[in-house]
Amino acid sequence: MLKMGNLGRRAVALTLAALAMLVIASCGDDDEGDGGGGGEGRKGGSITITYSSYVDHLDPSAAYTVEAWQALWNVYTPLLTYQRAEDASGNELMPGIAESLPEISEDGKTYRLKVRKGLKYSDGTPIRASDFEHVVKRIYNNEGGGESYFDPIVGAPEYAESDQPDSDIRGIEANDQTGEITIRLSEANSTFSNVLATNFAGMVPQKTPLDLQDSKPPASYGPFKIGQVVPNRSFELVKNADFNLPDIPPANLDKVTVRQNKSLQQQTQDVISGETDYMQETVPPDLLPEVKSKYKDRYEEHTVSSTYYFFMDHKSEPFNDERVRQAANYALDSSAAVRIYGGLFTPGCNFLPDGLVGYEKIDPCPWGDPNEPPDLERARQLVQESGKAGMEFEVYGNDEEPSRRLTEYWSDTLNKIGFRTRPEIIEASVYFDTIGNTKTGAKTGFANWFPDFPHPYTYLFLTEGKTIQPVRNQNYSRLDDPEIDRLIQEALREPDVEAAADQWAEADRRIVEGAHEAPYGQRKLSTFVSERIDFENCTLFHPLYYDDYASFCLK
Amino acid sequence: MATDPVTEFSLDVPRSAEHGEARDAPPAGTGPWRLAARRMRRNKVALAFGALFVLIVLVCAAAPLWANQVAHTGPNTNHIADTIELDGEETQVVSFGGIPIGPTWEGRFFLGADRNGRDTMVRLLYGGRNSLIIGLSAALITTLLAVLVGLLAGYFRGWVDGVISRILDIIWAYPVILLGVALGVALAVGGLQIGPITISGNSLAIPILVIALVYVPYMARPIRGQVLSLREKEFVEAARAQGAGPVRIIFSEILPNVASTIIVFFPLMVANAILLEAALSFLGAGVQEPEPSWGTMISDGVDLLITAEHLAIVPGLMLVLTVLSLNVFGDGARDALDPRAKVRLEH
Repeated sequence: MLKMGNLGRRAVALTLAALAMLVIASCGDDDEGDGGGGGEGRKGGSITITYSSYVDHLDPSAAYTVEAWQALWNVYTPLLTYQRAEDASGNELMPGIAESLPEISEDGKTYRLKVRKGLKYSDGTPIRASDFEHVVKRIYNNEGGGESYFDPIVGAPEYAESDQPDSDIRGIEANDQTGEITIRLSEANSTFSNVLATNFAGMVPQKTPLDLQDSKPPASYGPFKIGQVVPNRSFELVKNADFNLPDIPPANLDKVTVRQNKSLQQQTQDVISGETDYMQETVPPDLLPEVKSKYKDRYEEHTVSSTYYFFMDHKSEPFNDERVRQAANYALDSSAAVRIYGGLFTPGCNFLPDGLVGYEKIDPCPWGDPNEPPDLERARQLVQESGKAGMEFEVYGNDEEPSRRLTEYWSDTLNKIGFRTRPEIIEASVYFDTIGNTKTGAKTGFANWFPDFPHPYTYLFLTEGKTIQPVRNQNYSRLDDPEIDRLIQEALREPDVEAAADQWAEADRRIVEGAHEAPYGQRKLSTFVSERIDFENCTLFHPLYYDDYASFCLK
Repeated sequence: MATDPVTEFSLDVPRSAEHGEARDAPPAGTGPWRLAARRMRRNKVALAFGALFVLIVLVCAAAPLWANQVAHTGPNTNHIADTIELDGEETQVVSFGGIPIGPTWEGRFFLGADRNGRDTMVRLLYGGRNSLIIGLSAALITTLLAVLVGLLAGYFRGWVDGVISRILDIIWAYPVILLGVALGVALAVGGLQIGPITISGNSLAIPILVIALVYVPYMARPIRGQVLSLREKEFVEAARAQGAGPVRIIFSEILPNVASTIIVFFPLMVANAILLEAALSFLGAGVQEPEPSWGTMISDGVDLLITAEHLAIVPGLMLVLTVLSLNVFGDGARDALDPRAKVRLEH
């Protein structure tokens, strides 16, 4: 039997004390944490993450899917950006490439900003104030869907129609010597600071060609830069060692490889086994109970601002008839979406989602309680009255699970009320471009929207008449209602978004009561990571951009 | 004996001559077809599997009967938010967690439901119908095309053979699944326009044509090999000497002598076409949703293997039974028509 001497006892006492301090220190970290993420994590290492559908674009001027923005947020920093925080403060603007938040004139029409000195893109090119005009020009040249956000800039609509890509946009003045940018708007617009923080406005060098650069994305300034790209298969986010902006943490990881995998089952199994480290989509219903019970230490659900709806084209039959749109709304069963999303869905009938300024729960819903069975009889009757019964058309949806199932459900529902439809399933990465091309002639189909910024306009612009465009159209229903447009424009002119809450709510009510769209609720998202990732300290879930890859770190 | 890298032949005797050379000499007055029928009757296993195939065809043909009279729902009708009464209790067809009901062993949802609350039994029968229609139609078109090009290439030889054989080689050079997926996806997206005829992307005609086309070389080449051999036989020379033209020789002298090969090939071709249809549909390049086929049903079921395993197992089992029955019956037919033949499909 061994005996322990004095020295040994001291060593044990010291070890125990050290361990106790470590425990206390780790408890302290927990207390200070913000509910998972954002803390100082271990630096270095690589991870692999999976997307169900490949990004629509890797060029910030046109990228517009959730998948693309989630990745590019940390690649192309705009003049302004959002605080890296999980709670509501994540919705607050902060300076990005600009030194400070914009100085806005009293009439709300002039914005002055100044670009930080000494910053360089990933290719070594200095960041200059005049790059901003090039960024806006690229947005118009690539028709990425975000053009309408920049229309308030004086001369921007004229530039869009001029067919002269090299001409100037009158409302943007830049001085590369001082770094000052002056932006003049044709009228006050309460969203414009948020517009400057969108991914579209991510800064790129002036030498970047005006056309799309998806296979060789432009140079950037952000925690990551784009590495190797295998189109429609994978791309890499590589740590930008030169990135240094106050209040924006650099990336913890050296490299994030993003791969496409259409099977949610496979993605989940890969995260469980550690084959991959994160899945961007939610865990499928089949595996959700197992993940929730066995891997709850690395799984979390989040209710996010979003709206899910079926669009109905107002410019063509049969949905140009209000009775048909009403019928579709009567027939819509929100609880079907709850089941299809495996419970990760909250039913509702507002177009504007809960949590945004202007949200007022419409109660009772004009077309029936979303938690009650639909009124199919009334719907059939309205279709008969419209004289459109028996019409044949396609119902559009993408091939991503589970939205494909929703499309099949919607097609069957329309058949039940008197139409003859069939689902037209389009590959997810080109889906919104396809239905946004008016030549496609999509009459109805699946649509969803996640906010571009924390402002009601980011949803309601989808219903504004002036946003209808021939390609990359976001107003899928081609809704052009003068009264809704008037409410939106009046609300936009009010600099204080809270002060215009009633107008936003009224616009929402008119969309729903006019059966202009068929909204059915909002989505919950989930974060599920492999054992390798430090879930407790390094998974920041941002309210706008969701899981922040720059925050991810290994244990 | 003509040999081929894929198919090895030793066929029954030519109709016009050589009766005496048959190894399994029949009694006087017994023709080769009657002899084959007698051999077939003796092969109880092949007959049993043939009967099983007929049963499957009949059951699938009765799909509308089951749907309308028993299940009271269609193959594409969603019941996602519906409830049914089971053992006196209201049960959700699909739970709020997205898990569908399992087999009830009653008229409605006899084999449970899928994630959209569609009746699995009804979809299984309609899916079988689609799979069988595609398999049989594709095999028929393959057979017609393969016989035609095999006869032309084998009889005329020279540049006709050169052109046809190179085209067949090009098709053969691609793996069946890859070529099927490529054609299936392209045609499913854009449909097909042949002159005034337009076939929409979701039509069953698309997988039928794709499958028929990709299998042509696998049947045409053995037939060509056999025709090359037959055209040198004395009975063909005799017909030629009597002034018969190429068309008459091909269709009156040679075609009857490759008939047994065609008959042996056909069930194997149907089995392969059904398998390929299932593979293409599984990959999204065959039958398009929401139309059911066993392939699409397996594809749907794979996503719920843990909580609703029946969704993949049941159509998979039907597929196995159908293909097995055709293969065993096809082997029996081959043995009956010529016990020495080793006709098989390889790819």
